[in-house]
Amino acid sequence: MKQFSTILKFELWGYLKNKIFVGITVFLALLIAVIMFFPRITEAISSDNGAVSEENVDTENGGDTSVGAVDSENDRIMLISAEENDVQHLIESAFSEAFTDYDVQLSDKNIDDIKASVTGGEAECAFVFDSLTSYTYYVDNLSMYDSNTEIADTLLENVCRMNAMLEAGIEPDEAASLMSIQIENETVSLGKDQMQNFFYTYIMIFALYMVILLYGQMVATNVATEKSSRAMEVLITSASPTSMMFGKVIASCIAGLLQLIAVFGSAVLFYNLNLSYWSDNMIIASIFDMPISLLGYMLLFFILGFFIYAFMFGAIGSTASKLEDINTSVMPVTLVFIASFIIVMYSMSSGSVDSTLMTVCSFVPFTSPMAMFTRIAMSTVTLWQIITSAVILVASASLIGVIAAKIYRVGVLMYGTSPKPSAIIKAIKNA
Amino acid sequence: MELVINGVYKSFGEKEVLSDVSFKVEGGSAFGLLGRNGAGKTTTIRIIMGVFAADSGEILLGGKPIDRSKVGIGYLPEERGLYPKKTIIDQLTYLSELKGMKRSDAVASVDKWLARLEMSEYRNKRLDTLSKGNQQKIQLVTALAHDPQIVILDEPFSGLDPVNAMLLKDIVREEIGRGKVVIFSSHQMSYIEEFCDSIAIINRGRVALHGDLRDIKRGYARDRLIVRAVNTEKIKSDLGTCCADTDDGSLMIKLNSSEEKHSVMNSLTAKYDIDEIRVYEPTLNDIFVEYAGGSI
Repeated sequence: MKQFSTILKFELWGYLKNKIFVGITVFLALLIAVIMFFPRITEAISSDNGAVSEENVDTENGGDTSVGAVDSENDRIMLISAEENDVQHLIESAFSEAFTDYDVQLSDKNIDDIKASVTGGEAECAFVFDSLTSYTYYVDNLSMYDSNTEIADTLLENVCRMNAMLEAGIEPDEAASLMSIQIENETVSLGKDQMQNFFYTYIMIFALYMVILLYGQMVATNVATEKSSRAMEVLITSASPTSMMFGKVIASCIAGLLQLIAVFGSAVLFYNLNLSYWSDNMIIASIFDMPISLLGYMLLFFILGFFIYAFMFGAIGSTASKLEDINTSVMPVTLVFIASFIIVMYSMSSGSVDSTLMTVCSFVPFTSPMAMFTRIAMSTVTLWQIITSAVILVASASLIGVIAAKIYRVGVLMYGTSPKPSAIIKAIKNA
Repeated sequence: MELVINGVYKSFGEKEVLSDVSFKVEGGSAFGLLGRNGAGKTTTIRIIMGVFAADSGEILLGGKPIDRSKVGIGYLPEERGLYPKKTIIDQLTYLSELKGMKRSDAVASVDKWLARLEMSEYRNKRLDTLSKGNQQKIQLVTALAHDPQIVILDEPFSGLDPVNAMLLKDIVREEIGRGKVVIFSSHQMSYIEEFCDSIAIINRGRVALHGDLRDIKRGYARDRLIVRAVNTEKIKSDLGTCCADTDDGSLMIKLNSSEEKHSVMNSLTAKYDIDEIRVYEPTLNDIFVEYAGGSI
């Protein structure tokens, strides 16, 4: 036990004294501080600018300034072309109201000239109408986020419906009120609200993924470094492999947790300092509205998941003969972990966190840390399922820990080419 | 205190690495464990240290099975290695603590050894900033700082300059003088010959020769003379086929029996201009080549 605590202290200090570890933690905390202070900073800057423009208005001609501003805002030109005059006027007024970001201009040019205007950059886009229900949209480079056709479609549907109602003899006022009927609804979620839970679950799963992968690989590199520098020759004769393996893994787990606490702690601190600036942002507010019990579950599944993967990474590190071999040696474990991350992420984004696949994954030790946590966060899971999953994880982590220590014991003494799994099993039997 | 290795067998899979290895090491004396590369020396050392268990056989200390949790073992491995990026004091203290010392005792002991090895100025430096010889001295501290009862030194002199080699010799003599069990493993026979009272030569996993070095040497028939003279050609032509040249230009004369050595010595000194004449005694190197010279 004394050996274990000596190893734990030495390894943990190794992390805490590491300039890169400290640097990254401080950098992340500062980055979060900048993000959390961002609305306050932008508001301060915009209020400064406001003061300046007001001064300009006072000292110069206010009317001219405002006209110039409007012109510069509407430098995005949208061309509209239609053969029928009725259609032209109807569309021009409707589009001008709907596309306030654009300077909507009626064009009588032919199609080739309109295309040239768009490709030449004189206009950003163009709508060429055959009729009220048929048009062609021209744009130079179609952005992923271009929603102009959707807006236009809705607009045209409304125009057509309005026309139809007017033609049917309905009074314009009545037609307008029919078009603007508002439906009121209220949703009461009796379980978990996935809309609200999604963002913080996403962030926590991502943090879990990053920390386990990064620190797991660090354990592998740490062991392989000791082996390649031959420090192992002295260590293996001084301490039991079980103490070595558990000391290293638990030290890196604590280091990872400390980094998580530093990052999330600074996020909570800086969020509360800027609470009033974030009150309108529902997404950010929902993230910080996370129930405390979920943090407890995250801690539980983070620690258990971390142990399982870090033990495997450590065992693999002990069999690597050269530091350069580590990346290829750990690939199978990394792939299993990435696969479980993808399953969880896919289930989260598709809203099917209680699918058969996720239910099975939430009991399989390699996938359950992320899968069960996601189910707890985004769905309603019975207590017996949570306990069963945790018990399976504890048992698996202990078993993998003991096997990893055995592999470590024989692996660190194997030099030359990286041994095959069968050679390792044979060596464990012979040890 | 006596360390006894008794009938140790060890196989890795199909390959038998050690077969009935037995020898004993007296406390207060140095013991040379010799053998060619791959003969089984490191496996024997690892079994003594408990890195892995023997298939059969026993390791006794003071007549009882060794309890490694109570008996300190200091090991200087052949493959030197510590943490290149960590400070000297941090890693030496850590390794001493792993050997069961309290932190304060570990720091005090490490400081004492650093001073003894004239390395105190490097206390807070990183290992990789030191020269190879100085790193070797730091490695030696890991073997001695926790004041072990058994000290195993695998090629301790490699990489040391003559001054540091002298310092190490003094330290080893001190440890022997304090009654410790000291096991040397080296290919530098001159050091073994200088330090070790007894040896074991391992060949193909078996003990080919074991015992007191002086007794081993005495066991050889004293029926050869070494002669250094001005005109060795004359002696060779007079004595005929019983003469042979040696590497250093001397003559080796094979006698019919050891009893006639004095009469031959007298007649040679009377007849020729002899600079030196002595009875040939085999060096450890000769003994090693004889017993371990075959394939490993």
